[in-house]
Amino acid sequence: MSTVIEDQRDTLLHKFWEEHRGLVLTCAALVISLAVWKIHGTETVFPKSWIEVFPFADKVNEFDKWIRPFIQPTTRAIGAGVTWFYELVVDWLTFTQWQIVFVILVLPAFAYGGLRLGLLAVFAVGSWLVLDMWDAAMETLSLMTISIAISVMIGVLIGIVASQNDRFETIIKPILDTMQTLPAFIYLIPAFYLFGLGAPGAILATVIYALPPVVRLTNLGIRQVPAGIDEAATSFGATKIQSLVKVKIPMAMPAIKLGINQTVMMALALVVLATFIAAPGLGDIVLRGMMRLNVGKALEGGLAIVLMAIVLDRITNAMGQAEQTSGSRHDHVFRLFPQGFEQVKPILYIEYGIDWAWRQISRAGNLVTLVIVTGICKLATIYNSEISVKLREILLAYSFLIASIALITVMMLLDTHTDIFGNFPRAWEHRFRTPVNQYMDELVTNEVFYGITTWIKESLYFGLINPLNTFLKGLPWWYTSLIFICIARLISGRGLAIATAIGFLFIGATDLWILGMITLSTVTVSVLICFIVGVPLGILAAYNRTVDALLKPVLDTMQTMPVFVYLVPVIMLFGGGQIPAVIATVIYALPPLVRCTTLGIRELPEEINEVASSFGSSTTQTLTKVKIPMAIPAIMVGINQGIMMALAMEVITPLIGGKGLGMDVFTGMNTASFGISLQAGIGIVMLAIILDRISQAWTKSQREAMGLT
Amino acid sequence: MSSKLKAMLAFALLTMSIGTLSLAQADKRLVVPDLDWTGAIVTERTIQYVLENEMGYKIKKPTMPGGPGVWEAMRAGDVDYYSEVWPSYNPIKSEILEEYGGDGSLKIIADTGIIGASGYWTPRYVVEGDSSRGIKAVAPNLKTVQDLNQYKHLFKSLESGDRGNLIGCPTPAWLCEDQARLDALGVDFHVQGLGSETAHWAELTAKHKRGEPFVAYAWSPHWIFAALDLVEVKLPEYDEAKWPATNWAQDICFKMGNPKFIEDHPDVVKVLQNHRLTNAQQAVMIYEIDVNKRDVDEVVNEWMVANKSIWRSWLP
Repeated sequence: MSTVIEDQRDTLLHKFWEEHRGLVLTCAALVISLAVWKIHGTETVFPKSWIEVFPFADKVNEFDKWIRPFIQPTTRAIGAGVTWFYELVVDWLTFTQWQIVFVILVLPAFAYGGLRLGLLAVFAVGSWLVLDMWDAAMETLSLMTISIAISVMIGVLIGIVASQNDRFETIIKPILDTMQTLPAFIYLIPAFYLFGLGAPGAILATVIYALPPVVRLTNLGIRQVPAGIDEAATSFGATKIQSLVKVKIPMAMPAIKLGINQTVMMALALVVLATFIAAPGLGDIVLRGMMRLNVGKALEGGLAIVLMAIVLDRITNAMGQAEQTSGSRHDHVFRLFPQGFEQVKPILYIEYGIDWAWRQISRAGNLVTLVIVTGICKLATIYNSEISVKLREILLAYSFLIASIALITVMMLLDTHTDIFGNFPRAWEHRFRTPVNQYMDELVTNEVFYGITTWIKESLYFGLINPLNTFLKGLPWWYTSLIFICIARLISGRGLAIATAIGFLFIGATDLWILGMITLSTVTVSVLICFIVGVPLGILAAYNRTVDALLKPVLDTMQTMPVFVYLVPVIMLFGGGQIPAVIATVIYALPPLVRCTTLGIRELPEEINEVASSFGSSTTQTLTKVKIPMAIPAIMVGINQGIMMALAMEVITPLIGGKGLGMDVFTGMNTASFGISLQAGIGIVMLAIILDRISQAWTKSQREAMGLT
Repeated sequence: MSSKLKAMLAFALLTMSIGTLSLAQADKRLVVPDLDWTGAIVTERTIQYVLENEMGYKIKKPTMPGGPGVWEAMRAGDVDYYSEVWPSYNPIKSEILEEYGGDGSLKIIADTGIIGASGYWTPRYVVEGDSSRGIKAVAPNLKTVQDLNQYKHLFKSLESGDRGNLIGCPTPAWLCEDQARLDALGVDFHVQGLGSETAHWAELTAKHKRGEPFVAYAWSPHWIFAALDLVEVKLPEYDEAKWPATNWAQDICFKMGNPKFIEDHPDVVKVLQNHRLTNAQQAVMIYEIDVNKRDVDEVVNEWMVANKSIWRSWLP
């Protein structure tokens, strides 16, 4: 009898262990860590002798000094070539009559995204004129054009090679990881030194930064083409190269286009950052505004960048999906405003008006195309009537393009032979910097608001940051390393455990241990806040369309607004130090968590609702008991991205008093010591890789446990 | 003369003049950066005004933060000269400038006339109060740095704990050694570096607006003294032997340039040598730009038009 009970107890215990192993282990680790911390008592010190045998920064600086004279002639020549192309583009864009450039810029939006995206593009491009930032915007666009062209050319090529050669792929993958996580500030200074100040340095640094997505997605896209298709192609007598060029690459185009989309977004982020090495453009306006504490001016520049980012994102996205959507271009009445607005009469009229105008323009465009095509075909008939019929078919498929070319040609002719195109009227220019600055002033002195920010600041500092700082700094370095190595071993495997060991040893041996721990605590707290704020917001957006519609532009703005714009307001409202660093990081890293949560809940199959309610569970119950647990893998993806973005912010937050590894990146940059910057940067990369792999492996095991893969 | 011939002649003349113009322009182009403090931009603009309006130069003005970036750019020949070097804050000058024992890859051209002074400052309302804002004088006896100890509770911050908080030099790269200075002088304060000048001035401005007490590092000439009413918290006189337990040395600011530029453009070098701007002259313009948020070019042009006699003497 007693054995049965014991057996039962055993199985119960066993079951508990099986189900909650992770939790038990975590609690145990935490208790032991606290004990170790308490016993250890003081700030941990990495052995001096280990630091002395590893003079990383000095060696790097020596090497840097030695190699520069050898490679500089080559790199400068490349820089000069790039500059030539850049100037070609920027001169054309700035010297051509603005109306013509305007039309050229917005036409692709109309072509790929229809009326809605077209109007957005008109708004964005118009905003540069209205805000008197036309030239700066053209400079940014030129930098973008050249760097994206280079990135895509090189990226697709490397991607294709990687897809054909497994060994090459294994070599290139860690390099891509490093390129994506290495803070760009590290190579900004070497980039301008090697390639030249301003545009050439900026463009080549941007290429380094923006290249990885194209390579990755090209490689992935080609590899994902089913083997059967390849076999079919070869069985029809295609050679390996033919099958690649004619079958696989075309089939991988959607993936490649997605890669280009990501590259465009990353390029824009860096082109703005490259203002630090004197890159011209909108970033320059933001930096100048920030330097003078002119929040309004920085915000104007920031807004112009946000609009550029959103339009470029939508256009490149639409290009990727062009095949599916182009057919349904204009079936129903155009909706400019969100749902629910159609009850308001004036809005309805506006929408009808736009709709009507668009139809007329389309009709006129089609007519022009028809006339031109007919003309060309008539000419072709003289040569060969059969070709003429075919030609007509081909040309009519490109009706939009032909109409556009016709329009631009007419505009250019008008511009050269008449002077009907004037400059953008001064009276139409509007700035909102003064009211923004006034509002900012009021906010800074507003006692209630300052009370709130002080409360947030103090509770964050005393409740989270400071305890975590002291805890992480107080744990012996070998203990912290060991814990991370164990986690890596348990969750992933031996490879990651070794990588973790190397990473922590590197951070210790370069005398960056304490800074590394501060980075770790800043990132932890920031991601925690993102989680607490972001997940509920994400859930809300998943259930409520209005919230979702309101949130979307806000998140877009948060993701694309250059961080410099909000650094000054953050410091004015929260004071300098680690807290504003955390707050700026939260602003930057929040969007992916919200997005992934929304997506995770929305993508769950419909049946779940039905099943859950048939078992009698309420909406809340379904959410908390079924949906949230099932969305955990998606949320984890968001957390993972949040961690990566928080680590990327580590390099920016020293500008407002953030401490941590990023501070050394700046110190190195300010003392022309590439070695100092590089070792701190590598420290960040190592932490990024360790945290990324651990959270990814954990997500994977969760997915597998749920049977989602 | 027939009209056709006239037109041809006119055309030929036009092309020739354009050709010579563009030829002339090729060596009348300079690259001089706009650095990240207004003083430097003002100094630079007064020089550029002369070069552009009187001597036909065309100058490209990329924005970039001061510091080693500019020095490296100048060494590589991307930037021709740099018109306001503050010797105290440039740790790598000893590698580059012959006068400081460096390799001579850059050369000093002349002084700018600006004499920089650095130190610690506190708002006047902390010492004297401000009845119009209803602020009482909380530290009436605060005169020297040593006096800070008795008021340290006033200057506490989140991160300083029980010690006072001094907002020090924004970046370690400037070698201000604030913490070492305070420790050596027996001042029980924690030094907070805000990471960038922008953050530094933003924090000071915000605190001043709210009427909070603070002690902070600042240097003149600077717009901050026009925007905020500050009094100095005195440091011991500069003494090289006791550094960093003393005040900073006076910064006799100078201009420097790339040797090739100096060789190729004697006329510009002449202007740089003749050019002088006093602290007071610079401060007037800085005030208009930073406090009244006016456009840089507008302010400088106005000053130049009003002070023709001053800059006439700069011409070669």
